[in-house]
Amino acid sequence: MTAEAPPVTTVEESSRTTPVTGVRAWLSRHPLAAYAIRRFGLYLVELWGALTIAFFFFRLIPGDPIRTLLQTLQQNYVYNQQASAEVIGRYRHEFGLDGNIFSQYLKHLSNLVLHGDLGPSLINYPTPAQDVILQSLPWTIGLLGISAVLAWILGVIVGAIAGWRRGKIGSAIATNLSIALAHVPFFFVALILVYVFAYSLGVLPARSAYDSNLSPGFSLDFIGSVLKYGLLPGLSIVVIGTFGWILSTRMLMVPVLGEDYLVYAEAKGLKPWRILTRYALRNCYLPQVTAFGISLGFIFNGNVLVEQLFNYPGLGTTLVTAIRQLDFNTILGVTDMAIFSVLTAVLLLDLLLPLLDPRVKYWK
Amino acid sequence: MSDSNVLEVKGLEVTYSTNRGDVKAVRGLDLAVRRGEILGIAGESGSGKSTLAVALLRLLKPPGKVTAGSVMFHPAGRSPVDLLKVQGEELRVLRWSALSYLPQGSMSSLNPVMRVQDQFKDVILEHAPARKETLRELIPTLLSQVGLEPRVARMYPHELSGGMKQRVLMAIAVALEPDLVIADEPTTALDVTIQRVILQSLADLRTDFGVTLMVISHDMGVHAQLADRVAVMYEGRLVEVGDVRQVFKDPRDPYTRQLIESIPRVGRRAS
Repeated sequence: MTAEAPPVTTVEESSRTTPVTGVRAWLSRHPLAAYAIRRFGLYLVELWGALTIAFFFFRLIPGDPIRTLLQTLQQNYVYNQQASAEVIGRYRHEFGLDGNIFSQYLKHLSNLVLHGDLGPSLINYPTPAQDVILQSLPWTIGLLGISAVLAWILGVIVGAIAGWRRGKIGSAIATNLSIALAHVPFFFVALILVYVFAYSLGVLPARSAYDSNLSPGFSLDFIGSVLKYGLLPGLSIVVIGTFGWILSTRMLMVPVLGEDYLVYAEAKGLKPWRILTRYALRNCYLPQVTAFGISLGFIFNGNVLVEQLFNYPGLGTTLVTAIRQLDFNTILGVTDMAIFSVLTAVLLLDLLLPLLDPRVKYWK
Repeated sequence: MSDSNVLEVKGLEVTYSTNRGDVKAVRGLDLAVRRGEILGIAGESGSGKSTLAVALLRLLKPPGKVTAGSVMFHPAGRSPVDLLKVQGEELRVLRWSALSYLPQGSMSSLNPVMRVQDQFKDVILEHAPARKETLRELIPTLLSQVGLEPRVARMYPHELSGGMKQRVLMAIAVALEPDLVIADEPTTALDVTIQRVILQSLADLRTDFGVTLMVISHDMGVHAQLADRVAVMYEGRLVEVGDVRQVFKDPRDPYTRQLIESIPRVGRRAS
């Protein structure tokens, strides 16, 4: 870095800035890179802090997972009533529960960061917790991720149109319907959908993620079955999520409509759709992008009920099973997963915002 | 004489309805704008001059409403239309290529998230798609016409000063060589030195593009410097129209005289 050749600068510029070489000079010439590096550093600190809090928090939960494990083994294999101290000690070591809490913490963190290892799970012993999570992760991302994206896109489009055409009857219907339904819980809608489509009409399945007669794979039948089984749980999330996004987008849209540049765009004789997208929506949808990043966190905890209701093999179901059996490693793993996704999403969005709106500048 | 007029306003009446009754902002106004002239509209705030501009541009929003009158517009090479009657697509096509608007520069009329060149591009491509190939030369030419460097094209509005924004708006206003430009307080909120320069560029635009300008301003100094003819409005009515020299030299209406006397002069102190 130190031997870097100075770039071609004008006389005025080079006389003003004293010749600083090395990293500092490079950073001052590339403010965006400097910002990105600083922001990434903050991200690492946030990640470390959140993972630490999660670790200690779960250690506060009363109960002994080893005792639970031994009970399970006893029930299943009519095991020796009194496990020897040696056996218990071995299990404690395996689950990372030996030593004082700080050495446990250090071991947990180094295993997680260096090897991506969470230790064995309890609900599916001896499968490692990360494997248990990775099994259910695709289902959650597939169902909840796609539903969340769909709800956002639909909500922003309808909300923008509702704001644009305020005072018109269609806008009034969309707005009032959204006010009425935006805060209805997902599972309530899910119950209604199940009752109507699965129970009364019997046209759509309401349990599991795919037809159990098919074997998972990239066959047309299997994918079709996944879509069919995902329709009801997906719909229950999209329907309610969309109403929320409609309301908030409309709220952002209305004040923008009074701006001078919209009157000017009208005077320019541009097509109404173009004014709506390039002039009105472009100037107000930024908060929605940030809100979307934050809402991704709810994929990991907000929709446990939906997954439970539809018996969907996603993270939510895994999490509930893990909590019931005090499976420390899996609970912690799911939590870490949520922490990681939300922080990463917010990081990416932060880096993306200056590209979406030229007025956003974090750097000087 | 009627074919030398770009705009003929007859009996125009604009009303704002409030919950305490209707307020007439423009009352039975008759006015003709001649092709190629710069017509100044003078008057104090609340005299209805901005309402007149907005009504002519068809940008009047509720609770404002045109309640009477006709506005015949004679664009070159097109059949005359009544601006108050055209609707929808017909109106949209007429905008900018025939009738354009120069708003006050201090207003945020430029879209904050679009580069200056894109704000030229969208209106040019909308009304004259054939010019797509020439855009690369057209935009710098237009900018230099108002005294701006070509690099301004790549900037965003928040990177420009008030005077630069006003120039960009002027360049956009004449981009399609419209028949009539309605300028609403083009120099208000600019400092005095920039005002002079802007007025000079406005006068140059008339010579370069042959546009007809309707300049609305409360500042009699602006009219003295720029306009060929002045129309004075008071309480929604036109009290006097005439050649700028004649109006300043020998005002017929007492209100016009007061307006002219309101121009500050050295040696005359406010008491």
